[in-house]
Amino acid sequence: MTAATLETLTAWISGFRDQIVQHQAELTELDSVIGDADHGSNMARGMEAVVGAVKATPPADAAALFKTVGMTLVSTVGGASGPLYGTFFLRLGGAAGATSELDAAALGAALRAGAEGVRTRGKAEPGDKTMLDAMLPAVDAWETAVAAGSDLAAAASAAADAADAGRDATIPLVARKGRASYLGERSAGHQDPGATSTALLFTTLRDAVTAA
Amino acid sequence: MIGFVVVSHSRPLAEAAVALATQMVAEGPPPIEIAAGSADGGFGTDAAAIAAAIDRLDASEDVVVLMDLGSAVLSAEMALEFVERPDRVHLSPAPFVEGLVAAVVLAATGADWASIRTELGGAYAQKAHHLEAGSDESAPTPPAPERAPADDEASFEAVVINPSGLHARPAATFVKTAARFDALVEIENVDAGSGPVSAASLLALIALGIGRGARVRVRARGREAQPAIDALRALVEDGFGEA
Repeated sequence: MTAATLETLTAWISGFRDQIVQHQAELTELDSVIGDADHGSNMARGMEAVVGAVKATPPADAAALFKTVGMTLVSTVGGASGPLYGTFFLRLGGAAGATSELDAAALGAALRAGAEGVRTRGKAEPGDKTMLDAMLPAVDAWETAVAAGSDLAAAASAAADAADAGRDATIPLVARKGRASYLGERSAGHQDPGATSTALLFTTLRDAVTAA
Repeated sequence: MIGFVVVSHSRPLAEAAVALATQMVAEGPPPIEIAAGSADGGFGTDAAAIAAAIDRLDASEDVVVLMDLGSAVLSAEMALEFVERPDRVHLSPAPFVEGLVAAVVLAATGADWASIRTELGGAYAQKAHHLEAGSDESAPTPPAPERAPADDEASFEAVVINPSGLHARPAATFVKTAARFDALVEIENVDAGSGPVSAASLLALIALGIGRGARVRVRARGREAQPAIDALRALVEDGFGEA
């Protein structure tokens, strides 16, 4: 397949909800070590609300879908993941535009806009032990795959692998942003919960694209 | 009047901070909105709720947003994308409680945004200065009083007699009284050799550490220097009504 349809994108969002709910305890456990132990429950509450909002008012196009996702997360997550994932989806939707189909290049450009929005919102940089450490490698891998002529499924697969690797690479890092930064050196040796949920985001995108 | 939005992870924390601040301006607090906690009563912040709180203050020319930590700051920054008039909104860099109390007291005197911005910008340094006084010469100094063309000048010295000295509430009364006059007022703690600082800054006044029995020197310059000094002398000698 050459383009992600609105149906595929909606399946991505509900797949993300499923994965977040499935990994809720793990995310909270990771966050209890270096944060305030609410990432799993916050994200699960937010994504349940997202799926409910999308069901209640089926969006007409990609821009509307991601706006609903972003604004719902902003108002229901509570922690820093609210404005961060909220910004990711609002920028993603703004870049995607009022269309119901996104090819690999267009979806890659939209993901880039989302990731740059997160970077600006959190004022974080790669290596700060945040969700960006999974998100930026994933988008880089997506763009590299598209530039090499890969199709949508191959680009999504490369991005998911890069996000997983980025997540694992957060383990030795010392946190420089967010609640974990209060721990300083003691944050090293623990996987970042935000990078973990972001890896799930790209895994579910790959699965949605592959299943379509 | 300047309006305030108080953003916290916790609604009880925000409500208590607002109560602490408005206790000092019981006669006429500025408009204050709270955007705090999650919808289900837990901890959390919500950019859309912050934006709505800002927009509810539609009569205020300037809106100052005080935030606690982490997502409160991110959500407030995001809220600026949703509000109707972002150019009138100012995110405070000050510590949450100190910033709120000082800015609310100043706003109640009719101070403009420029004065409040100065107070908020120095709010952290005031506390650091107080804690480091005597142990670190490099500690930041309180803002120097502004110098005006010397027309009228007046001054007095007096001993502070009220039990807890120039703590927050009497200090707020002092700031508010000084602000009523067309004069630049400064105060120093003669015994401790601290100051002089501008009487326009509540936090600078508190940082002088004026306790019971301390001798203060108050100077005023400007058209209403003498009436300002008369009023302030009466306040101090009367023990701010507390003695």
